[in-house]
Amino acid sequence: MATLPRTTVEIGYGGSERLTMNMGPQHPSAHGVFRAILTLEGETVVGVDAVIGYLHRCHEKLAETLTYVQYPTIASKTDYVSAMTAELAYVAAVELVGKIEVPKRAQYLRVLCAELQRIASHCLWLGTWCMDMGGALGGGATIFLYTIRERELILDLFETLTGARLLYGFHQVGGTRYDLPAGWTQKCRETLAVIAQRLGEYEAMLEDNAFFLVRTQGVGVVSRELAEDVGVAGPLLRGSGVAYDLRTAAPYSSYEDFGVRVPVETAGDCYARYRVRMAEFRESMRIVHAALDGLPEGPISSRPGVKSVGQVRVAKGEGYSRIEGARGEVGCYLVADGGPKPYRLKWRGASFSNLAVLPHIIPGHKVADVVAIMGSVDPVFGEVDR
Amino acid sequence: MPGEARPGFWTETTQLVRAVGRAMGVTFKNLLRRPITVRYPTVKRVYPERFRGILALTYDPQTGEENCIGCRLCEYICPPQVIKVEMLKAEKRNWAKTFTLELYSCEFCELCVQVCPTDAIVMMRSFDLATADRRELLLDKDRLHALGLQFEPSWATGNRLRDMQAPPKPAKPTAQPTPDRRGPEASQGASTANPQSANP
Amino acid sequence: MTLAYHALVGFIVLNVVIGMVTYVTLLERKFAARMQSRIGPYYVGPRGLLQPIADALKLMLKEDIVPTSADRWIYNLAPIVFLIPCILIFATLPFAPGLGVADLNIGVLFFLAVSSLEIVGLFMGGWGSNNKYALLSAMRAVNQIISYDLPFVFAAFVPVLLAGSLQMSTIVEAQRGLWFVAYPLIGQLAFVMFLIATLAAENRVPFDILEAESELVAGFRVEYSGMKFALIQLGEYAHMIGTSFLGALLFLGGWLGPGSDTPLVGALWFLLKAMLIFLVVTWVRWSFVRIRVDHILAVSWKLLLPATIVLLLATGFWVALRGPHAG
Repeated sequence: MATLPRTTVEIGYGGSERLTMNMGPQHPSAHGVFRAILTLEGETVVGVDAVIGYLHRCHEKLAETLTYVQYPTIASKTDYVSAMTAELAYVAAVELVGKIEVPKRAQYLRVLCAELQRIASHCLWLGTWCMDMGGALGGGATIFLYTIRERELILDLFETLTGARLLYGFHQVGGTRYDLPAGWTQKCRETLAVIAQRLGEYEAMLEDNAFFLVRTQGVGVVSRELAEDVGVAGPLLRGSGVAYDLRTAAPYSSYEDFGVRVPVETAGDCYARYRVRMAEFRESMRIVHAALDGLPEGPISSRPGVKSVGQVRVAKGEGYSRIEGARGEVGCYLVADGGPKPYRLKWRGASFSNLAVLPHIIPGHKVADVVAIMGSVDPVFGEVDR
Repeated sequence: MPGEARPGFWTETTQLVRAVGRAMGVTFKNLLRRPITVRYPTVKRVYPERFRGILALTYDPQTGEENCIGCRLCEYICPPQVIKVEMLKAEKRNWAKTFTLELYSCEFCELCVQVCPTDAIVMMRSFDLATADRRELLLDKDRLHALGLQFEPSWATGNRLRDMQAPPKPAKPTAQPTPDRRGPEASQGASTANPQSANP
Repeated sequence: MTLAYHALVGFIVLNVVIGMVTYVTLLERKFAARMQSRIGPYYVGPRGLLQPIADALKLMLKEDIVPTSADRWIYNLAPIVFLIPCILIFATLPFAPGLGVADLNIGVLFFLAVSSLEIVGLFMGGWGSNNKYALLSAMRAVNQIISYDLPFVFAAFVPVLLAGSLQMSTIVEAQRGLWFVAYPLIGQLAFVMFLIATLAAENRVPFDILEAESELVAGFRVEYSGMKFALIQLGEYAHMIGTSFLGALLFLGGWLGPGSDTPLVGALWFLLKAMLIFLVVTWVRWSFVRIRVDHILAVSWKLLLPATIVLLLATGFWVALRGPHAG
């Protein structure tokens, strides 16, 4: 593995065999703003130099200027595709450091929303990945529109619950802000039934399809040792044979009540990660049904309704909360100093660590595989750059 | 890929043909489904009760006075700091002398609605305020009141949200619903007899 | 006199073809949209019928940007060199008996030869843009189109063998009894291979590695804007429809159908059959992801070329056994 240092980036065709091509931040399949400086020999990539930082918005500094009441609405903007888990990471950190109780109903509601969000995020992943592989004006776009149609159904559910479709502000320190409206559980079950049926259709379109298999099997193999060395998490890790899921390894928010089954594949290529995520779809749907069945009555927050901005004060301490987001381990390290604002907040973005495997697995593949691999790693640059 | 191993060639080819047929069958089935497009703006989707749309200020339905007492709680809690309020002190109650809200920077998080003690600021069930000039989205108090009368308000007000989050109180003997302080149109159809469950 | 007459007929055919090409884009967009649970263009004109006109106007009014480091002559000439063969192929197509520009006695050969000249314009576009993406895509395109022209030609020659002539009207007349696609096994296989080779020669998904929006962002067209882009789009769709017409002529009986004695009804049947092929190609396009370039080439050289050669040999054998075909 050799990534070229920046000084040797050159525009070279006219004698040299190696071509340096920039898959720039403005790119239809960069999944956000990601710059990859590829060194090509013909069609084969021999080096990748990854440049990030185009979406840096100073989240960690911002957290020092906003109080514990204000920041959860901002926290959803780190992993904006999977906003519920991002907010959960932050409030879990505050509750951990401040030793704040969360009532049982709120924990179940959090699980419910996190799993629904996981389904929605994976819908988006499937759509954009197929679109990258199939072209915005081709078969990929068809699957993209189908999965977006399903994601819209889940976003409708969230809209009825919170009023917003993408960035919810659903969590607050001590519980959640919103409770289920009337008729929501019925609507949720119906939506999940529709999605389960449509999921069968997508698998029919993709599973045996030789075109799809040829593009994904054997491509972007992440070996188990590499995955553990680099420190990836989420479906990237579980596709390489490591059965590690924070929902079972370090359960939070009553996940131990649900008996989460962790899907694992050993091949480590894009196809294995695809199978892991498809299995996660079904597992999340099962957890949602279980949460709806077992939802206890009670308050949704251990703090009375927020009335002032400095209402939550956390005593001195530090702690790290870990959440199984749709992409991996989302972590939030909080240092509190007794006031209403954190002293220091550090986000561990799941995609940031996952992107670190790219220089190891991309060289040796063709240009067309770069997008397939990036899609299966599924980065969201709000998490990477924060 | 088909063509590699002679014995597997026909099985691979038949598998490919079957997979192609299945994929094309799925697209054909979708061809016959109704499109899900909603032809906005001719046809508008029905927005849910709690929809977080444009912000507006409200009048008291009984007295017709402005609800806002200029306490500035919304100004302090707003994460992007888009609200600016000046208080006008008077004998019986305070008022807001000026109230500006920069809607172009608002992140629609509903925190201001949540903290308002008098249900003065609420969000509407609409977002139709697109304009070609950004200055029109710098809403002053008159504009905010006009918006409150122009659109349909969402279910969420400060008191209702706080009631939803607070631990359940023991049932009171007189079941008096939380007074609706937003305006005459809002009190129709929104029942808050039991704020803890069965929320609309 | 006859020169003026032929020029007039050519002019009319040219206009009809260009009109058809623009409206075929609308047909594709609506069809694709319905397959994706949405409606296509809807607001421009009644139900979106004026959308192609709006697109054409927009492209004509756009600023024509030429990159400073582009090779001016090659860059500017490329869309024209690309377009001319794509329109020229319509000159040899007889839309009905007697209704056509020139019914050459080597019609099919002329069609296939001229249609593969578009690759020159394509490569000129990729080279002249002085852009790595464009160059990469143009190189891939040359690879792919050259590899697939051979099976394309061989599959197209099966009807030629069955009819015994390269002249297009003769081929259609030879299908009076039975369409060539209905011939047991030979017809169907040849038709399927013709369709696959068409997909690849037109750079349609699953073989559209050349334009691959998600990797190469429009491929060799990436530096073109305004009218030049319009010419390239026109050429692509014209080529697409041209091969659809060829397929309808070679395999589906051309203008034959009930009431096809009158030329206009025959032309209508011809149009319907060509649109059927076009819709099938579009349906395939919107159902599959693309495959990588080395796999595309593998399919062509290892699978399609041997298969079409074998098929051609089998057809020749069968024709020889059958005896000379009358007409």
